Amino acid sequence: MALGGLGFLMFILVALNILAAAASLALFAVAIWVAVDGYKLYAISAVSGKDDIFAAAWIAIFTGFAFFLTCLFGIYAALKRSRNLMLVYLIIMFIIFIFECASAITAATNRDYLVGNSNLVKKQMLQFYTEDSSNGKRITDTWNRVMQEGKCCGADGPTDWLTFDSTYKTNFPKSFPWPENCCEKLSNSEVKNPTSCQTGGQALFKKGCFQHIEWVLSNYTWAVSWYGFAVLMFVFFMLLLAMVYYVQLD
Amino acid sequence: MKTNVVIRLVLQLTVCTYAVKSQTATPVLTPADLQGKITTNTVILKQPHCYFNETCSDCEIWLVPAISSAANSFDGDSTNNNILTLSPYPSAFGPQSKNYFLTKVGPQSDFPCDKSSDSLYFVVGSDGNCTTTNCNGILPTGSVVSFKYVLVQTSRITKVTNWSANITLFTPQKPASIYDGFVARSGAMVVITTILSVALGLLLIFFIVLCAVCGQKKESKPITGRGSMRMPRYDTHNLKDRVQPYENSAYEPERRK
Repeated sequence: MALGGLGFLMFILVALNILAAAASLALFAVAIWVAVDGYKLYAISAVSGKDDIFAAAWIAIFTGFAFFLTCLFGIYAALKRSRNLMLVYLIIMFIIFIFECASAITAATNRDYLVGNSNLVKKQMLQFYTEDSSNGKRITDTWNRVMQEGKCCGADGPTDWLTFDSTYKTNFPKSFPWPENCCEKLSNSEVKNPTSCQTGGQALFKKGCFQHIEWVLSNYTWAVSWYGFAVLMFVFFMLLLAMVYYVQLD
Repeated sequence: MKTNVVIRLVLQLTVCTYAVKSQTATPVLTPADLQGKITTNTVILKQPHCYFNETCSDCEIWLVPAISSAANSFDGDSTNNNILTLSPYPSAFGPQSKNYFLTKVGPQSDFPCDKSSDSLYFVVGSDGNCTTTNCNGILPTGSVVSFKYVLVQTSRITKVTNWSANITLFTPQKPASIYDGFVARSGAMVVITTILSVALGLLLIFFIVLCAVCGQKKESKPITGRGSMRMPRYDTHNLKDRVQPYENSAYEPERRK
């Protein structure tokens, strides 16, 4: 290949590495956003033992930053026209590629387990809400917050509390048919209209909470897996180009 | 002409009887939008406005919740003088019991016809698991129940409504019966997994090919050294004829003698 062609290839490679460095830094930031869990729904995945969405986010934090550093190294290796450096660059990128693949696939698969339908969330709510264990406290706090903030009740609706037995019913048999937090509350956390809450009138939140939970966990998943997938596809074609460049170097 | 008259008379009669029949009211579930209309052991009914036409100062409206299969049992007892205490609530339900009880709703004057509204309701079972004879106690969980409003005057039933339709209370299932296993693969997961696996495989193959190609190139390449001389034979002295360099001419005569 003529020297002019090689120079052009080097220029392309440097430009692509700069873009990949920026994209992987964004992956790093997005993965941090997922790991921080602003919606505070980690308890729902942790108690069921299926918190791989967050594990995948942690992997993506490391691979995102590693991609960033390696791309900067790749710029240096391409400019230096050094065979050995390019080989090192290719090997490191390949290893990080494998880890990022694992992260994207894990997040997507685990989301299907967790929020494919409302059964897992519903069963967990019925068993752990107001249960006197550490898991129970976490679930109770999470659901109390979700029901009040999202103005919802139960997984699919208030009838979940009627159709199924629950720890709540066993612990509070003389109370409302559904938890207090299913109803509108005053700022001093008392039920606004107890009669309406008891009969299920205006004061009761009628929609189910599963939609909100599924929306949040899906957003976390798509951030890690679809954006990770996009970065990986870009890096894939960049690595092919880097291999061609390596072969043309002498 | 005569047949015409007869037909008209028959029609009028059926209309009259139908009108009389429809005057007997039927208790219904509250039409209001209440999520707790039917629970595992309570029911919310529409209030008995306009169910009884009587105007009597001491009339009271009572409710008869009964297991649907025991409705006939109440109908047989309804003319009894002591009907109000015949089946007290605490012992009302069971295999040997009458499976109905009576509880007071309110005086007839509380339910005038012109105040009828869908938003007014009456909760059956609001007293919980109570102990008095005519308290508004909860129903057996998951049973099929029917209701009847009755007009009571001086502790005797004077008028009744029809039985309501059968209402099935919720039978709560165990949460362990919910199947929370794997449901289905979403399309996104399949796409991501297959494309990434293929990409990884391709990358690996290209990497191996790369190393193989570059390894081969290294061995077959001849070493060219531009600056070094190569000659098959190297002599330090540049002699064209091979002669002995040191020849002793004095030695030759001795050899001739």
